[in-house]
Amino acid sequence: MPPTNFRNSRFLKRSPQFSMTTRRRFLQASAAATTGVILANCQRNLSDVGSSDGGNTASPTSGSTDTLHVYTWADYTDQELADSFTQKTGIRVVSDTYDSNETMLAKLQAGGGNIYSVIYPSDYMVQKMIGMGMLTELDKSQIEGVDNLRDKWSNPGYDPGNAHSIPTTWGTTGLIYNSTVLNPNPEDWAYLWDEQRQISRKMTLLDDVREVMGASLRSLGYSYNSVDPAEIEAAHQRLVELKPAIASFKSFGWEDQLMTGDTVLSMVYSVDAISATLENPDLNYIIPASGSSVWTDTMAIPTTAPNPEAAYAWINFLLEPENAARAVERLKFATPNQPAFELLSNELKENTDLFPPDDVLKNCEGIAPISQEISELYDRYWTELRSA
Amino acid sequence: MLLVPAGAWLLLLLVAPSLMILEFSLHPGLRPGQAFGAYGLGNYLQIFQPIYLQVIGRSLYFAISSTLTCLLLGFPVAYWIAVMAPKRWQNLLLVGFVLPLWTSSLLRSYAWITILRPTGVLNTLLSTIGLPTLDLLNQQSAVLIGLSYNFLPYMVLILYASLEKLDKRLLEAAADLGANPQQVFWKVTVPQTLPGIAAGCLLVFITSLGDFVVPELLGGASSMTAARLIYNQFLGATRNWGFGSSLSMLLILAVSVSIALLIKYGDQEPERY
Repeated sequence: MPPTNFRNSRFLKRSPQFSMTTRRRFLQASAAATTGVILANCQRNLSDVGSSDGGNTASPTSGSTDTLHVYTWADYTDQELADSFTQKTGIRVVSDTYDSNETMLAKLQAGGGNIYSVIYPSDYMVQKMIGMGMLTELDKSQIEGVDNLRDKWSNPGYDPGNAHSIPTTWGTTGLIYNSTVLNPNPEDWAYLWDEQRQISRKMTLLDDVREVMGASLRSLGYSYNSVDPAEIEAAHQRLVELKPAIASFKSFGWEDQLMTGDTVLSMVYSVDAISATLENPDLNYIIPASGSSVWTDTMAIPTTAPNPEAAYAWINFLLEPENAARAVERLKFATPNQPAFELLSNELKENTDLFPPDDVLKNCEGIAPISQEISELYDRYWTELRSA
Repeated sequence: MLLVPAGAWLLLLLVAPSLMILEFSLHPGLRPGQAFGAYGLGNYLQIFQPIYLQVIGRSLYFAISSTLTCLLLGFPVAYWIAVMAPKRWQNLLLVGFVLPLWTSSLLRSYAWITILRPTGVLNTLLSTIGLPTLDLLNQQSAVLIGLSYNFLPYMVLILYASLEKLDKRLLEAAADLGANPQQVFWKVTVPQTLPGIAAGCLLVFITSLGDFVVPELLGGASSMTAARLIYNQFLGATRNWGFGSSLSMLLILAVSVSIALLIKYGDQEPERY
């Protein structure tokens, strides 16, 4: 087992039925990306469309005992999941989605999130929110199936002993490319610079400062999480070199461009990439050889949760191997749940994009929380890169 | 007494939030969940760093160029609808022109992506008729096209309202007295519609200054605008609400000055000759 810390992610999950839902998801995702909170506040009522409460103005009292409000990444839950939960427990599920951990945190901090009993913070955000006293310490006597988690997730660095959070999905950051167009095919981050001419203006990178800077740092042989100002500056300079070749920074909505041939390579999160590669065999996903980032998303109960009983029911429901496995098959995220993994089809189990072998993962790091000062340094360089 | 509802509305939804942002902006490096520290102007001074000035400069460039484009395209259209088109067609033409506003601006931006992308509608058309293709998407030109398209209907509506009131007898009189069409246009038509032009320009300027969907979707790698910078300060990884607030105050100030100018000059009766 590699001693990796699994510490980051921010991304939007996609639908498994790629061709049918591409455009709708594409719009949804990009809308969320560009209009952030506005859309994040839009409420998707999964089980009862007719009686949705109004977004962030709803008071805690609206979370009556028969309703569970879940605040999650888009496509971590779907209608089928909500329906079967309702069928089993009689609890109605209302789910809202967000497009970044920061959006979720801002909403909770501003007091607009006190209707939610379950949230889905990523590893580094769990650590941050524990520090702020925003997460309930879980009562393990009310949770069944924690021992189903693979060893790697039984005692994660961001939340020792899973005291405040239950790991529910994980994945990596990498490159997706069109193998019929690119020659040679990419294997590592250095490819972006070496083959700059070939992919010029046909490449998109994630719209995420830490991921993009991390990749550049890694290509120079530094840590994805460097806090050394000289290293960070070197990474920035390297990105400035690459800048003329970058078509745009997109975390979502890169699929259409890749499919139509407008772009040939994108830096993406594995969850989004896997659906795309299954849809189009010309597309390949790789985790760069020198290492990338690996992230875990969790379920947690905020201290303001109006309905913790339902929250525990939800967590237990998703820890059940059958339910977790069915969600993985539809939504294509990697599960840290061992019995659920066993239940998957061989095709998925052997999909190394979804479940990369340990020797690939051993070079990967989670994105670690950094001090405010260094975070501001990153942000300055990012603004510079995005505006030059 | 009659002013109470409107006054309360303004106080609650305009004045109070603005004052809150002002308060935020006066605490250097303020972060959510943090107690207010000492007062200071640090957030405002930060704006004057070259990278942030560059971002603000780009926002102004986008806003001014799209305003001019809207004016250049909108005036002939409005003039045609208001002055030259048959009376019974006017309403229909106007509705036709405003129709795109019924769809979301996000959707319209996606339509432009489809048109402008390297293998998109425009380039397919160009290559079929044997012309070289254009690399427009993910450039500043795409942002200008998107912004101009989005705000053109506003410009046309306002100019139409102004041109419709145009006293045609004055045009005839000017022509009668020997002015050539060019002189009639510049000496009679334009001065009479100046308030409309000012109002249209300011409206387009203000809305495009704050827009960040279009630059974000069409502008590619170098699309950072003031609006997006503010968004990043509030919801990004750094979350410097103090700096974000000072940038917001700057935008509010720019917009307020524009509106003040509009009220002062835009509402005047055109000079009579």
